[in-house]
Amino acid sequence: MKTMPSSPTVRRRRARRARNWQGWLFVGPALLFVGVFVLIPLGQLVAMSMTDRSLLGGGKFVGLENYEKIWNDVGFWRALAFTAEYTIVLTPILMGLGYAFALLTVDNTPLRRITRTIVFLPVVIGLGSSSLLWFWLFDERVGLLNKLLVDLGILSEPMVWFITAQRAFWAVVISITWKVVGFGMVLFIAGIQSINPEITEAAVVDGAGYWKRVWRILLPLSRRILLLTTLISAIGSMLAFDQFYIMTSGGPRGQTFTAVYWIYQNSFVSFKLGYGAALSIVLTLIILAFSATQIALTARSAGK
Amino acid sequence: MSTASLRAGFAAALIASTAFTTAAWADSLTMWVRASGTNAASTLVNLWNSTHADKIELTTIPDNQMVTKLATGVQAGEVPDLVSFDLIYMPDFMKAGFLTDLTADLKANKDYAGVAKAYVDIATYQGKLYGAGFTPDVSILVWNKDLFKKAGLDPEKPPKSVPEIHEDAKKIHALGADIYGFYFSGSCPGCNIFTTSPMMVASGSKMLPASGSDDALTGDGVKDVLEQFKEMWDEGLVPKSAQADNGSNFVALFKSGKIGIQGAGGFLISDLKHDVPDMNFGVTFLPGMKEGQVSAFVGGDVVAIPVGSKHVALAKSFVAWELSDEAQLEGLAKNNILPSRPALADNKYFAAEPRVVTTAKALAVGYVPWVYHFADMVNSDSSPWINMLQRAIFDGDVDGAIKEGREKMKAIAAE
Amino acid sequence: MSVATLVSTARPLRVARARRIPPSAYIVAAIAVAVCAIMAAPIVLSFLASIKTTADASAAPPRYLPETVSFESYVKVLNYQAGLATYVFNSGLVALITIGACLVVAAPAGYGLARYFMRGKEIAFLILLSPIMIPYQAILTPLYLDFAKVGLVNNHLGLAIVHTILQLPFSIFLMRSSFEAIPREIEEAAIIDGCSAWTRMTKVFLPLAVPGLVTVALFAFINSWNEFLAALIFMNRETSFTVPILLVAVRTGKLGAVDWGALEASVMISIVPCLGVYLALQRYYISGLLSGAVK
Repeated sequence: MKTMPSSPTVRRRRARRARNWQGWLFVGPALLFVGVFVLIPLGQLVAMSMTDRSLLGGGKFVGLENYEKIWNDVGFWRALAFTAEYTIVLTPILMGLGYAFALLTVDNTPLRRITRTIVFLPVVIGLGSSSLLWFWLFDERVGLLNKLLVDLGILSEPMVWFITAQRAFWAVVISITWKVVGFGMVLFIAGIQSINPEITEAAVVDGAGYWKRVWRILLPLSRRILLLTTLISAIGSMLAFDQFYIMTSGGPRGQTFTAVYWIYQNSFVSFKLGYGAALSIVLTLIILAFSATQIALTARSAGK
Repeated sequence: MSTASLRAGFAAALIASTAFTTAAWADSLTMWVRASGTNAASTLVNLWNSTHADKIELTTIPDNQMVTKLATGVQAGEVPDLVSFDLIYMPDFMKAGFLTDLTADLKANKDYAGVAKAYVDIATYQGKLYGAGFTPDVSILVWNKDLFKKAGLDPEKPPKSVPEIHEDAKKIHALGADIYGFYFSGSCPGCNIFTTSPMMVASGSKMLPASGSDDALTGDGVKDVLEQFKEMWDEGLVPKSAQADNGSNFVALFKSGKIGIQGAGGFLISDLKHDVPDMNFGVTFLPGMKEGQVSAFVGGDVVAIPVGSKHVALAKSFVAWELSDEAQLEGLAKNNILPSRPALADNKYFAAEPRVVTTAKALAVGYVPWVYHFADMVNSDSSPWINMLQRAIFDGDVDGAIKEGREKMKAIAAE
Repeated sequence: MSVATLVSTARPLRVARARRIPPSAYIVAAIAVAVCAIMAAPIVLSFLASIKTTADASAAPPRYLPETVSFESYVKVLNYQAGLATYVFNSGLVALITIGACLVVAAPAGYGLARYFMRGKEIAFLILLSPIMIPYQAILTPLYLDFAKVGLVNNHLGLAIVHTILQLPFSIFLMRSSFEAIPREIEEAAIIDGCSAWTRMTKVFLPLAVPGLVTVALFAFINSWNEFLAALIFMNRETSFTVPILLVAVRTGKLGAVDWGALEASVMISIVPCLGVYLALQRYYISGLLSGAVK
């Protein structure tokens, strides 16, 4: 595309503005896909949330009655609080460890490559299988983890992990950390590797030590990918379900129900599909609000 | 990676996928069965396939997804020709109109007249019949004869009442720190409705309400049994892991030979013979609080024809066939599975294995609840049933637990 | 300076190392080994349990090593119902279509979001991220009923579309980050050279974003391969089922009882293909003109 330049900056500005609509062309197919396959069903979900539809069919329009019920649904708010607690505890652990492992394995030596592969390996196992695997490891009778802890002298006798909410919570956190930390690691490695090596070289020449380089250069420059990965990880935690379904069964006494677990119970066990839809919409709105703020903050910090 | 080759690749994948799914299955019936009932169902389906031209194709659905899959399938018009599922869902499905009316065909079938009453009752809705017993299973009490002998108990005399279970369990636990007298899965609602509730029913209690005005957890049976369980728990006769067991270790510990007595199902007989052939074990009825009181939970799968099935006539002939002598004996009995016609319990296959005869007899003394929202009331992870059990046994508040359970169950039944 | 020369002169820069190995290197190596041991332990234990007999795998108290090596758990999984090969074929086909769809849709989207200044760009990004904010168990029911009306149920394409829905947000995010990391100078040079937008994207940016593309493909494969619920709801026949459904069915006993040996064998079986894909794609992470040594 040849333009008649008046000056380099004006030329660039004109070229940029003229190119903007092309950006929409590139993004178009994705927007179309999401529009058809996500937004339409979402609309149907909203419609369903205003009925008292059962899983087994039937139901009539009830307006905002479901939403009023949610306001008084103690179980849901308790589940939401538990989910928030889980997210707030787990996310820093995953991101912190993930970044630490990224720093550890970003080099290309054989040992680092093997470590990278082993840390990533749990990511490829399905969540259901992994949760059940840990449920087996944690079991007081047949679990090898308890046996290991006893053999190592850390415990005097095998412990039942899932009879108090506290212990059950940490058991799930341990199992999920093991499973998911490799995911953050891989993303952060990509982030670190995309930093222009000239910058780090210059810092070395200037005499900056390793940790100073990490703190002053790597972290700030990976800020964007850090924030977005944290966001995606947090959203995943807020929608946690399978691990609790398999490991804690919501127990003891329903203290480890997460928000989605509560939705599952209402929709598929109590058959209240309409009410479950309303719960889903409320949860989605909460997550959407949270994400919007996060993305706004990230966009501002990108400074592009 | 050129766009041309990409497009070609996609076209190929699309063609492959459509070709694969529209292959010639024109003359076969599809049947959905839940995962834990697959082995039993296979015996009948394989027998049918070997003697009939029209084949049945079995599809296994994981247990806890069966209801969802069938419900969404019926509403989308994507249903199999036959479906076999846990019979406690019959009331909900019948009320929702998911199943084909089989009244005329079954009433005309002479074999059907001999089916156990529990299976007829569970498949009846407003006077019409919608299903037939398929692969029955019934709950019984198992005991480890080797451990009994070691503990100085007569290995041929099982406990005949719940207090006697308690006594025997004490003696067995005395054998060693990691040998326990009794077992139950403390976080598994289904396991307990199957094995613990018959003890309560045998002691005179009625369990679940069929409607909001119906009564729940009546009589002293519930309280007495819960108190026995609580005492056994407090005395350490049950492994600590039982509290968190959601069913995954329901029979694993008994198989390891470390449990003296526990409730289980008829399925365990062939399981034990296969996995631990050296174990000597016995099978008897689940007792009540007093000697002579017995009961059982009549469970297993029923077979029904979903509305929307494309081969209704053929499906009906399968249902008729599976009630026949040939199917019940050569398919089920031969593989140590109960026939749904108790009259056939005296057959040559069972004669070789008297323990299965006991399970067949348990069919006659057993009960099955006819309620809506069974999942909500009992099987759910937040159900009043499991909350009551845990509160009574682990928290120690028996009376409060029963009261709360009764209220919540009635609330659900009233919906 | 043309694009070609810029691209060809860029290469991974290495900082000169000191001659002697500092003691910190040993500590770091020790940490790496410890991390490997801890992270690998559950998988190793799982493997050992998978080669035990069924009874041994649920023994209480448990043993670390198998009493006798037995492959009966693997045989059980291999021969279950339609046979492992069928499920692997279905899972593989769906995963392949998912990868293709993700790449084709996400790469341009990420490029557009990364390199263009559009008003409302972040709102578009939010919309594209929105699928992961919806509890997907909830959205499956309306989706299933819709797909049934247009005949997209019980075939691989329909399921692949569902998997793509689940993977697209993350894929777009990855591609956007990947394209954003490419320096301005390369783009400016391409514009000066007279490349059209499409050529810019395909000939200049895509090759530089290969690690990102590879990561998208890898995660699309893993998540599609392991996805259970949609596969169960959208497929109606045993012969269309995918591997995760097989793995759940084979280990489920009556009343929730779990065949632990079968579980361990399932874990091993589901690792193998994903690990294979990961290792095959590994080298694309390392190469790439923008990787550099940190030290």
